[in-house]
Amino acid sequence: MRVDVRALGACNRLAERGAERAANALGELTGSDLAVEVTGASVATGEDLAEAFAGRESIGVRVGLDGGLEGAAVLAFDAEQIDGLLSVLPGGASMGRSAVTEVGNIALGGFLDGWANYLGRAIDMTPPRYFEADGAAVLPDGALAGDGVFLFESRLDATGTDLDFSIYMLPDSGPFRDLVVGKTATAATAGAEGAGGSAGGTTTTAVPYESLSTFASLAKRGSANAADNIGMMTGLETTVDVSRLRFVPLADVPSEVGTEPHAGTVFELRGEPSGYLAILFSEESAAAIAEAMLPMEPDEPLGEMAENALCELGNVMTSGFIDGWANVLGTSISHSPPEFVHDIGSATVSPLVASLSRRQDYGFVIDAAIRTEGVQARCDVYALPDERELAAVLERLSET
Amino acid sequence: MSHPTPSGDRTASDRGEPPRRVKVGVGDLAVVNDGAVLMTSGLGSCVAVALVDPETDTRGLLHAMLPSADGTVSYTPRPAKYVDSGLETLVDELASAGGSPGRLEARLVGGAEMLDLTAAVGPRNVERARESLERAGIPIVASDVGDAVGRTVRFLPGGEVAVRAADGFERTL
Repeated sequence: MRVDVRALGACNRLAERGAERAANALGELTGSDLAVEVTGASVATGEDLAEAFAGRESIGVRVGLDGGLEGAAVLAFDAEQIDGLLSVLPGGASMGRSAVTEVGNIALGGFLDGWANYLGRAIDMTPPRYFEADGAAVLPDGALAGDGVFLFESRLDATGTDLDFSIYMLPDSGPFRDLVVGKTATAATAGAEGAGGSAGGTTTTAVPYESLSTFASLAKRGSANAADNIGMMTGLETTVDVSRLRFVPLADVPSEVGTEPHAGTVFELRGEPSGYLAILFSEESAAAIAEAMLPMEPDEPLGEMAENALCELGNVMTSGFIDGWANVLGTSISHSPPEFVHDIGSATVSPLVASLSRRQDYGFVIDAAIRTEGVQARCDVYALPDERELAAVLERLSET
Repeated sequence: MSHPTPSGDRTASDRGEPPRRVKVGVGDLAVVNDGAVLMTSGLGSCVAVALVDPETDTRGLLHAMLPSADGTVSYTPRPAKYVDSGLETLVDELASAGGSPGRLEARLVGGAEMLDLTAAVGPRNVERARESLERAGIPIVASDVGDAVGRTVRFLPGGEVAVRAADGFERTL
């Protein structure tokens, strides 16, 4: 079974449009300006999702789907954000459940309209059912048992009020996967048609679904290796919080990194696939981890000594990250010397994104949060491989 | 992409309310004519082009990633990704929202050399923005470009641009 990453891009675009409709509907209901900050599609196994949702409480609505798209779809708000949402809805907290149901209904309706247009078939939606769920119980039945689901995640941000939240879309895995595959075949024969003309089917970007899952697990292994290397270097205990392979519009990556100041290192990857890797800490985390690595307290929290320590750490983390890939993919990947960065997070990654954007609009982003115990430090790793080279390597992987 | 409101509306500042804020993402643009503040954050090597028709206060902001669509392989037409196509679209949208292309003034921000790995991107973006503006006959009245620093931009009613650099330095163009 093959998935064209470009068809996945078209799906992502649909999810983005759905989220935009949701934002407009919520904007009208609440009188605030809402913008869709990030929409991404991730390929995740049930195990990864269970981990990612652990400890999270969600409130939302679920609907059953029939017709053009089968299965179930779920729209979930983070329970922590629900008071913020209710406070701006007509009727406020007293409307609670019905307000959430209405919002979910509108948002899911918008999302599915886009899909129905794309597929050329109507999608029937059962009446929305309100739920409150702990952890991965938010997911549609069966999602955790399968070898992978497509998760669409959109983050909405209100510019006028303090109201941010995420919407997760989880179409039932099997039928959805078939649709992406089926549409890929159609797109390949019909040329560059599809949603916004972005579903142009070319064989160079079609990869077997199974190797996409393999790569998702590689992402996880790479993060674990990087975390182990931090542990060996610093003597600190490290854990990987979340590690996922996501498919996102490249232009969304900077806003995902955010506008807070960050410090860390950036690497160019050479080989198959080439690309970039950025390891970014908040200023506090960077200073804390550098201090833990240095024999004495540095004169400045993020001065030259800290910079050297962070570069050295970046080197071992990056080696750990790509060694795992190279082994499994059977390719050779090397990395440039570390380049220290200390600036607004989004400004730091924008040149990397610009560089890749010459050849691709969407990118695979591997993000992992690595946490150290004892010292309060956390970093995010963004790996941005070249789309075509990655597809070629995954293709070869499936043939062996 | 744009959020114009019909002209003739009373603006938020006329009603004593804080002005509406419109965020412009990476590879995106927006046009306003209701006194809203246009914002874009985390400008690194990207370049922001702020255009205003001072007579009508019709303003538009472009946040472009790359100099030109020439020579790139892309399947999704997204004009605001590039300086040249983005600027053309921005001028068209300003004209549709009531701005006069002949009265436009430009302010230019960004194009930093953030990384040695990708050093050329920022200066090329600035160079292309200057060329495209000159070709369109739009004067650049102020700019804050280059260096190795990230910037956040607020395009204010009246046409001034407030720039905050990552090192905390603030200036108004």
